[in-house]
Amino acid sequence: MWRILHILAIGALLASAAYVYSAKYQTIYAEEQVVKTRHLIAKERDSINVLRAEYAHLTRPERLQQLADGALQMQALALNQIVKPESLPSPVAKVDSIGRTLE
Amino acid sequence: MAKPQPSLEKVAGDGRARFLAAVRRGVSELFVSRADKSGARIAQIAIIVGLAYLGIGGKLVNYGLSREPPQTLKGAADQAASGARPDLTDRNGRILATDVKTMSVFAEPKRIIDKDEAVELLTAVLPDVDAKELRERLTSKKGFVWVKRQVTPKEQQEIFHLGLPGVGFFPENKRVYPNGPVGAHVIGYVDTDNVGIAGMEKYLDENSLTDPHIVGFAPDPNAMKPVKLSIDLDITHALRDELLIGMDKYRAKAAGGAVLDVNTGEVIALESLPDYDPNEPGDMRDKEKINRLNVGVYEMGSTFKAISISMALESGKFNLGSRVDARESLRFGRHNIHDFHATHRVLTVPEVFTHSSNIGTARMALALGVEAHQTYLRKMGQLDRMKTELPESAEPLWPKHWTEVNTATIAFGQGINVAPLQAMMAVGALVNGGHMIVPTFLVRDQSTAMIGSHRVVSEQTSESMRYLLRSNATHGSASFANIDGYYVGGKTGTADKLFHGHYDNSQVFTTFMAITPANKPKYLYLVLYDQPQAAPGDGGYHTAAYNSGRVAGSLIRRVEPLLGEAPTYVFPQNPFPLIARLGYGADAEKVGKE
Repeated sequence: MWRILHILAIGALLASAAYVYSAKYQTIYAEEQVVKTRHLIAKERDSINVLRAEYAHLTRPERLQQLADGALQMQALALNQIVKPESLPSPVAKVDSIGRTLE
Repeated sequence: MAKPQPSLEKVAGDGRARFLAAVRRGVSELFVSRADKSGARIAQIAIIVGLAYLGIGGKLVNYGLSREPPQTLKGAADQAASGARPDLTDRNGRILATDVKTMSVFAEPKRIIDKDEAVELLTAVLPDVDAKELRERLTSKKGFVWVKRQVTPKEQQEIFHLGLPGVGFFPENKRVYPNGPVGAHVIGYVDTDNVGIAGMEKYLDENSLTDPHIVGFAPDPNAMKPVKLSIDLDITHALRDELLIGMDKYRAKAAGGAVLDVNTGEVIALESLPDYDPNEPGDMRDKEKINRLNVGVYEMGSTFKAISISMALESGKFNLGSRVDARESLRFGRHNIHDFHATHRVLTVPEVFTHSSNIGTARMALALGVEAHQTYLRKMGQLDRMKTELPESAEPLWPKHWTEVNTATIAFGQGINVAPLQAMMAVGALVNGGHMIVPTFLVRDQSTAMIGSHRVVSEQTSESMRYLLRSNATHGSASFANIDGYYVGGKTGTADKLFHGHYDNSQVFTTFMAITPANKPKYLYLVLYDQPQAAPGDGGYHTAAYNSGRVAGSLIRRVEPLLGEAPTYVFPQNPFPLIARLGYGADAEKVGKE
């Protein structure tokens, strides 16, 4: 009777030791992964920032103006080309021209 | 502690017992403290402990005296590396300045075995590093020295492949300005350690908005919120572009311009030419590249007449119907004040303004007296240094011995030098209903601006000034800037430049101020040119209307749509209600002919 209990106790001890061992190593591994991921995030953030700066540099008004002047055959905006939405003419009632020919 | 046991000795007969007794005695002896021996022992211990303390003390003194405290490599690198700064954005959130991570090369001189070889290899990869200087740095006793700050990824790769022991890389923040020189005078710049030297960059440091950079204090770079400036990138670019075109056309020495929101005091755009690229170290050292709007002080010329006339109107001694004698020039001993466009007649107040009569303005200021003039100019912020967020500012120059002659000339903008932005602040207050608002370079709404403001002129005086500016655009010198659709008001100013004590009318400083729309101003424009020449076809005129005025016109045409203002071709009904009730300027289109 005592012998069985002893064996059980020793077994439980070994099992728990094994569990703690594996849990500890899993934790260490997870911690490493967290640190690695943090580094990756920081790296990504840095590269996002570089891209943002680059985007801002490439879309700076000075450059866009140069490109537009060189590549597009467009006139400068005249003030009379700007109107408020209210001053647009109201749309004309749609005419069903095909339907009319059928009548 | 055991006592000696003499009884045991007698009982012990055999050797085993004697041996046991001896052991017991020996053991018990260990725990016996005998008075005759303790003195010497205490002295011994005291000497040993004392020596130990002396050793510790000596080492402490040694540490205290050594200049370079020994520190970890990480700590040294952290301290030497440039700190993080928050982004600067324009009012629409577009980036004006940001940090990017770059690698810097450092060395630990103690760990470098062959210094000559290291210098040779490093200078082969980094040709711009001075070999002699690098050798000096590598032979120093320091634990940490920079080889080169902010290297390119290619250079980093090459240095890495050299495989030199004691040479490593450390990430640093490098400030970049994606827009180059656009808005540079507002943004400012930083040094190689990422510390703000000028402009809003310096403001960030002064207000502890950057990474505090203290060892052991790890700031969260993501917690640093971007700082939103009041300037608009597109409008600043448009302003710079127009100023450059004009500078080229009129062969001017320098130019400047600004757009100010008169109701909030926000500076929407500010440019001073020639300017610099904040990305290029050392480009900004040239004295010609100062911020002319804020740091330069100039005689503003006739634009100052707006201030003088508002003073006359505010005093109550003059109204829009008052008449001023401009038939003869004003004499003060050797000084003779005459008009550029002489009319030789009695002028009404609006005529004084539209004909830009020096005599008329001087007479109006003289009627109020020297003291009232000084008090008024002080109230308008023209006699004291104006303080904005920008760390750079300039003290106005005005005569300490101020007589009637000075009042007469200062009335039309001669004899007082102010920063152009300072003059804008005053004109802004004159047209916005009379509220003095100090310009700001940070976003601000109208209610916040109103809290910090105070009234300097009455609503009626303000309206009269708007009316005068509008009439000057329709019938006066500001007609070049009278852009259809925006109900512009404006005033020119041409000041002869002072050379060796003489005003030289071939070298002028021209200014132009414009408001849109004149009946309820939102924006105040300023354009200035230093020593512009007459453009071909202008009949030799180099006065403000021909250069600053024209540029202001094309600027308004270009910038107003960017500000979200659509042109309206219907003139406002009853644009100046307060003075219309008094019988003046019911129709601004007819003013000046009255």
